[in-house]
Amino acid sequence: MSIPLRFDDVQEGDELPTREFVLSKTQVREYARAGGLWTPRFTDDEGARQEGLPGMITPGNMSLGLLATFLESWAGAGSLRRLGATFRGLVMPDRTVRLRGVVTQKEAARRTVEVDVWLESDEGERGVIGTATMALS
Amino acid sequence: MPPALDPETVRQIVGKEFDHATHGPVTAEELIEFARALGEVQPEYTVPGPGLIGHPTYCVRYKGRKFYPENLPKVVNVRAGFDAGKDIELGVPVRPGDMIEVRATLHDIYEKTGRSGSMYFVVIRFTMTNQRGETLAVIDNRFMHR
Repeated sequence: MSIPLRFDDVQEGDELPTREFVLSKTQVREYARAGGLWTPRFTDDEGARQEGLPGMITPGNMSLGLLATFLESWAGAGSLRRLGATFRGLVMPDRTVRLRGVVTQKEAARRTVEVDVWLESDEGERGVIGTATMALS
Repeated sequence: MPPALDPETVRQIVGKEFDHATHGPVTAEELIEFARALGEVQPEYTVPGPGLIGHPTYCVRYKGRKFYPENLPKVVNVRAGFDAGKDIELGVPVRPGDMIEVRATLHDIYEKTGRSGSMYFVVIRFTMTNQRGETLAVIDNRFMHR
């Protein structure tokens, strides 16, 4: 079990440890299977092109899930209370992505923090942006 | 020029439940497969046993049977659109054996005008509960149509 983050150990302006990795087509297909999204746009380059896309893309739901995993790897399992995300652009697999976040507000009465969180490309383009509420111990 | 979205039509359809479906029971294998596909390693989400719970976004895999209500205004071109985003309020976690009841409501519909013309946003609210009536998640899904 992970050690949950303590409310008193977090300050407004704190940056979450960045997570950078190559999001592979294999992983996107695994998510498409597990997430009930087995359609060409998420599994097959040629099928996606026939839909007018440049190639297979990452489901928005997966980007959302990656952000949730990122947030809880920082604050502890079960700490996420709310997550809102806007899908601004296509997230293409087999490329480097970075998950980043910053604490924007602390709410002492509820022991929660607000976090701005986003998924960006290797070029720094933010394809998914969001906000989250995390409950800390 | 009259507005493309008639406010009275919008008022009549917003807030109405248009679909209701039940899924499950959820298996431990499904929960673990979903979590691992996201690179999740925390044992709460990946190790079989009494402590296993669903990943926070597990519920997004469930929908109703209908994508949209049948009385959506015709100015919304449902054939050309994409998922613009989601807002999730989390309740109790999903556990193996849970049945998931999904109620879909047309939560909002609005128009925005950009440089490329009008865009219509349709927000569907999915309220998900388990067999004990506990709220698992409330998900507002925004779809954008040109």
